[in-house]
Amino acid sequence: MIRNIITLTLNDLAIAFKNKTIYLVFFIPFFVFFSLKLVDREDIGPVELNIGLVRDEMADPVILQAIQSAGKALTVSLVSDEKEGVKSLKDRKIDGLLLNSKTREKSLVLVVLKKESVVTLSLVEVFSALQKATEGRNPGWISDIRPLQTGGPQRQTLPTWTLMLVLLVGFLILPAQVAEEKEKKLLLALLQTPMRETEWLAAKVFSGMFLMIVAVLLLHLLGGFCPDNFVGYAAFIAAGGFCFSSFGILLGFLCRNQAGARTLGVMFYLPHLLPSALSDFSHKLTVVAPILPSYQFYKPIKSILLEEGRISKLWPEWAYLILVGLITLSLARHLMKKRWLM
Amino acid sequence: MMRIEIHDLTKVFNNERGLHPVGFKVEKGGLIAVIGHNGAGKSTLLKILANWILPDGGEALVDGLPLEKRRAVARKIGFVPETPNLFEFFSVEYNLKLFARLFQTPFSRMEYVLKEFGLAPFRRCNVQLLSKGLKQRVSIGRALLADPPMLLFDEPTSGLDFEMTHEIYRLLKAFHAAGKTILFTSHRPEEIKTLATRIIVLHQGYLVFDGPPDNYFQSEIHEKLYLS
Repeated sequence: MIRNIITLTLNDLAIAFKNKTIYLVFFIPFFVFFSLKLVDREDIGPVELNIGLVRDEMADPVILQAIQSAGKALTVSLVSDEKEGVKSLKDRKIDGLLLNSKTREKSLVLVVLKKESVVTLSLVEVFSALQKATEGRNPGWISDIRPLQTGGPQRQTLPTWTLMLVLLVGFLILPAQVAEEKEKKLLLALLQTPMRETEWLAAKVFSGMFLMIVAVLLLHLLGGFCPDNFVGYAAFIAAGGFCFSSFGILLGFLCRNQAGARTLGVMFYLPHLLPSALSDFSHKLTVVAPILPSYQFYKPIKSILLEEGRISKLWPEWAYLILVGLITLSLARHLMKKRWLM
Repeated sequence: MMRIEIHDLTKVFNNERGLHPVGFKVEKGGLIAVIGHNGAGKSTLLKILANWILPDGGEALVDGLPLEKRRAVARKIGFVPETPNLFEFFSVEYNLKLFARLFQTPFSRMEYVLKEFGLAPFRRCNVQLLSKGLKQRVSIGRALLADPPMLLFDEPTSGLDFEMTHEIYRLLKAFHAAGKTILFTSHRPEEIKTLATRIIVLHQGYLVFDGPPDNYFQSEIHEKLYLS
């Protein structure tokens, strides 16, 4: 009995090795380890904050002097105007932007990405401490906090969930489906008909896009979220759907069977999901993530959902997604014509 | 008129098995058996003609059309693989309807196929619940949906019982009588003695015999390959 169990266990492991499932056991911990290495560790040592000041709109000299005396805890970056400051903030070059309050004299408005974040809390704490040390009274320099990203935590996490759903269909469902059709020779049966290769590819892209749109729509309906810029949002969901459906079809063509396709899918799913979703927490990941098509999808939908972004300013990302989709789809067509691993 | 013309067709796999330059012609209305041991290149030959795999060299013409014109060739050739490749989770009717749509043939043709192959009682059954013999019949029915003038059968009786094997041979004879050109593979030459009008023998990827069955069964090749 024990001998049989050992034999069967070894057989299962051999199958896992053969269909590359075993690679996930090594890949996932390694990938998570390296991703976490790239996430800035804000819990260790004193938090170093970078605050933006508008050059021609200098704050009260007392406040300015206090900021300059803060030393390493607070570094200052000068920006030419509020627009440049907001851009630097979105690019995570600065942690906050200080503007003179238009309603209260000798007080400031702190512009941050998110109101409920560790960075915002740290900035408020630093300014409270500085005011107390300078004037010895209760905090009042910062009279208002203006977040760039609106909505509560539910809405704040919406872009991550949307990205997750789109990538799930693109990298996990579609490659397995394509590989299954190859493995069971169903695709070859279809190629016995006068159907065009492009028709099959288009059908696969549309079915992938349909699944993605239904999933995203359901997420919005259940959460009661409605984007203000619906047209721009829909354009990005469609472009992302096209891009990741095509990518998924290509992955399916690279594998001989379903198990291999699932493994390869996970190997693409995590590196596309984590750096983009974690880029909010890390300067380093913000530098690395833009290489990925997933970031070019995540950033615009986040901008549209949380920062009132417009497609007129986001067209390069839209074009990038379409381009990646077209390249991967033409590669998939090439492999299909070559009867690759069929 | 030549239905199939093959010139120096080659396909070599990593393990050196496959098809070494092979050439022959098939006339309209032939019932040709391609025989040989496992790994002789029989299935490779049929799969190349069915556009499942691409040849490394040579040329094959189907009714004068090169295989590269896949869409046009698809209307000329119906291929029945050794293992039926059907959408198993769907019904017999769904499978046939899907392919009827892709072939742009009327559904009345599907009804004819269902009736002709005794599949009408199973039309709503999921394919995965059918026996291998019934699945093979669905697969043959699918290949005949577009009524192609040529049919390719790869080991059509493989894994079937005595009764089903004779049923398949009866069908092959019926298709032949209806004027179709048929190429089928087998590794049991005795079984097709009275069936084929011509025998092509492949051995380790090379064509070693091409002629009428009587000549083959009296030849040294038959003795060498199957009797000794």
